[in-house]
Amino acid sequence: MSTLLIRGGHVVDPANDVDGVADVWIRDGQVVAAPADPDARADRVIDARGYVVMPGGVDVHSHVAGSKVNAARIMRPEERRGEDDVLRRARGFRSGTLGSVPSSFATGYHYAGLGYTTAVDAAIPPLAARGAHAEFADVPLVDKAMLVLMGNNHLILEAVRARDRAAVERTVAWLLESTRGFGVKAVNPGGVEQWKEGGSRLSGWDDRVDGFDVSPREIVTALAEAADALALPHPVHFHGLNLGVAGNWEQTLEGMRTLQGRRVHMAHVQFHSYGGSPDAPEDFGAMVGPLADFVNAHDGITVDVGQVMFGETTSMTADGPTGHYLAALTGRKWYNHDVEQEDGCGVSPIEYRDRNFVHAIQWAVGLEWFLRVDDPWRVALSTDHPNGASFRSYPDVIALLMDRNLRDETLGRLPEKARERTGLKDLTREYTLRDVAIVTRAGPARILGLDRKGHLAPGADGDVTIYAPDDDRRRMFALPRWVVKAGEVVVDDGTLAAAPVGRTLFAEVGVDADAGAALSARLGEKASFHPANFALGLDDVANPLGVRTGARP
Amino acid sequence: MLPYTCTLCGCLCDDLEIRADAGVVVEARGACELARPKLVGLSVEPAVAPPCRVNGREVVADEAVEAAAAILAGANAPVVLRLERATNEAARRAVALADRIGAAIEAGDAATAWPRVVAMQRYGAVGATLGEVKARADVVVFWGCDPATTHPRHFERYSLPDRDGRRAIVLDATETDTARRADVFLQVAPERELDLLLTLRALAREAPLDPHRVETATGHGLATLQELVETLQGARYGAWFTGSAAGRGAGSLVEARRQAVTALVRDLARNTRLVTIGLGEAGNPHGAEGVMAWQTGFAPGVDLGAGFPESWPGESSAAARLARGAFDAALVIGGPTSGAVPGGNPWIFIGDPGDEAFALATVALPAGTPGVDDAGTFTRVDGVSLPVRALRAATMPGATEWLERLRAAVGEEAP
Repeated sequence: MSTLLIRGGHVVDPANDVDGVADVWIRDGQVVAAPADPDARADRVIDARGYVVMPGGVDVHSHVAGSKVNAARIMRPEERRGEDDVLRRARGFRSGTLGSVPSSFATGYHYAGLGYTTAVDAAIPPLAARGAHAEFADVPLVDKAMLVLMGNNHLILEAVRARDRAAVERTVAWLLESTRGFGVKAVNPGGVEQWKEGGSRLSGWDDRVDGFDVSPREIVTALAEAADALALPHPVHFHGLNLGVAGNWEQTLEGMRTLQGRRVHMAHVQFHSYGGSPDAPEDFGAMVGPLADFVNAHDGITVDVGQVMFGETTSMTADGPTGHYLAALTGRKWYNHDVEQEDGCGVSPIEYRDRNFVHAIQWAVGLEWFLRVDDPWRVALSTDHPNGASFRSYPDVIALLMDRNLRDETLGRLPEKARERTGLKDLTREYTLRDVAIVTRAGPARILGLDRKGHLAPGADGDVTIYAPDDDRRRMFALPRWVVKAGEVVVDDGTLAAAPVGRTLFAEVGVDADAGAALSARLGEKASFHPANFALGLDDVANPLGVRTGARP
Repeated sequence: MLPYTCTLCGCLCDDLEIRADAGVVVEARGACELARPKLVGLSVEPAVAPPCRVNGREVVADEAVEAAAAILAGANAPVVLRLERATNEAARRAVALADRIGAAIEAGDAATAWPRVVAMQRYGAVGATLGEVKARADVVVFWGCDPATTHPRHFERYSLPDRDGRRAIVLDATETDTARRADVFLQVAPERELDLLLTLRALAREAPLDPHRVETATGHGLATLQELVETLQGARYGAWFTGSAAGRGAGSLVEARRQAVTALVRDLARNTRLVTIGLGEAGNPHGAEGVMAWQTGFAPGVDLGAGFPESWPGESSAAARLARGAFDAALVIGGPTSGAVPGGNPWIFIGDPGDEAFALATVALPAGTPGVDDAGTFTRVDGVSLPVRALRAATMPGATEWLERLRAAVGEEAP
């Protein structure tokens, strides 16, 4: 039994409507009620008077493990050779490298160093789960979870073609159980499969995937319904059609309409909110308004932003055709890896430049999303790490949200034509600390369905971040004074003090044994491996922690 | 019963059925003619574990671990080598130990792994899991390699299942078994490989070429090569396989050939799906590379001597350091090894007590062999991780456990 008391801080805990001075007691890794005995002592007391206390940060959409992430590391040594791009070995801590895709230990250290204690990898192909879980074991400090790619999965597409809802549900459940995954991801549903077969680009909701005779609309609707029927903690996590393409806002709106009435999370929505048309790139512009209006008017839809920040980074996506397109556009090195029966990945370096018309608009589109969605619970902060920028730039994003002048300063150095194509200059809203706490922890936790994350009521995980108030918001959020993970003080007085491994969260779904065997046999028919080697046991997962789901098929 | 994964070549076939009788393997169903003789006859009874050795003297494990830790902790320029038969689990611990002691660590064959990684760092890589080739490929190229001989089940499992109309093209120095099964065979002299690759790339980029010069340089007419490029570009899904040296030519040109192959495939993949995949190395060098990359950011070798990861082609190779004598202690993980570590420096061997290194090392720690009496995960050449299961009960610790004990015995640095 070990107790920690965080005394007298300004607690910002929006999930519990707390925004004022309070104590937080943690015992054995969990937040507990204050002891009835007024003389009760804690094993350790952090004097947080004058400090801001928030739940640990939760990243709903990031890329921290798996073959695409590791390929990006190998492909980009040039990012990890400077004095500022290495992490020296220290007593009890591993060395590492940074760049846009840090090595695994460095990833954990830096997330925790920003006060984040949970990170979700948003794109793991089922076949890559075994490797990604092994990598999770070397990402310390944060609790991890993976979203499993299913939008181009052959077994899913077959079930969708058969219009067999029960079969879709069974397949989703079986894929999650086999991979120890947390949620369902759909990336350019059907479009990746079509590209792999050399077919034409799928750009419309009713285009057909040649080999399966299904449409993006049918696939994503079926996955959304399955996630709801299984009562998964997190709804279908959707990477839409035509990522990055001028004029894609229309398909994004159509997607929202299609999924209306069901739960859906729209990933890195910034990349899906552009005006213009593919044939007239000069008409490229921001079209956040009508999309944000739709979100404001309809419950059930949440988004994360995928904010772009200026600088060098690495694009990586399970959307193979988009990776191909991007690499052809920049002419830079290109890693592509197709994974059997489901997606794959494309990786390429990219530099976002403030003098570039398109990049400038992308930057503004992200900020428009934060500022135009009225209810902060519906919009989560992300850079789609490392696509828009590294997660290490989150403090810069927060500073922009809290300070209109800072936004205007940056706007002022963007190309004039770009400024005119966004509505950012007219948005005067500035985020409060409560808004920040929502978009960085309370909201993402709720979107993920993690009822012990993102808040500080008794029963919550003992994940807490304590910031020194600072008019320089970037500095405030870049350098928390203390970070507590599962009750352990991991950042102590501004210094990384411990690096526990963290938990791996997975959805506890149940699958009928006969149904599982039938799916496994079907998988084996075309796979390059024995189907008995597909499913993972709990021994294959680092520090596993099941999250309960609802109904079982 | 769970299937058995064979680690004897890069195919990593994971569908074998092992049957034992009277304490030995009597049948390995599904095994190829290379693997079967190595599997049949293996004992499935627990092996007798020999004691650890220090300077040829038999000692208890604690004493050996302490002696090994003292060597490693006291070294200024240690190297950690030969991870290619270690499990991913062992590789994780090996990199952790290398980080603590500031070692240069390397996975796989330096002469071919570095050129492959350097080519990727320049151009990228266009690849796929082998199941994509199995399911989709209509054109398959084998460049300077002979899987019919070296990877006997490659056709059946990955590249040419049932043939079903797919075209097989072989370019090689001689008419191999693979070439005899192909639809098209182009003979390529080893010294002309690079010229041929560069010519194909020029054709893929539609550069104007002088037919006479092409024929002189490659030994083939322009029309033949043009047809080859058109076949590849016309593929719905093409796959280009190559061995670890990217051809048969001089070892000094591995890097040039690897870059030429990588760049050619990228050019060809502009307008169709075309991927390139290695045949795969035996054991688990691909897995060890992946582990090293996620823990340090670099592959296939990294030098942790400065207190942070550094990796420079030509500079950071542990094998090259060993050959130059630029080390003062070595940790050799797994076999087979060929002889002793040179130079009279102390070295530690963790591996099969039957390996000759066991009798030669300063400190020898007997470890189970993955796939025989140790289990874990191996990663195939295409990044697919698969369980490797033991044939018999363990009587010795695996490399994973030895490395954990070594790491603990080395302790933390003084504050």
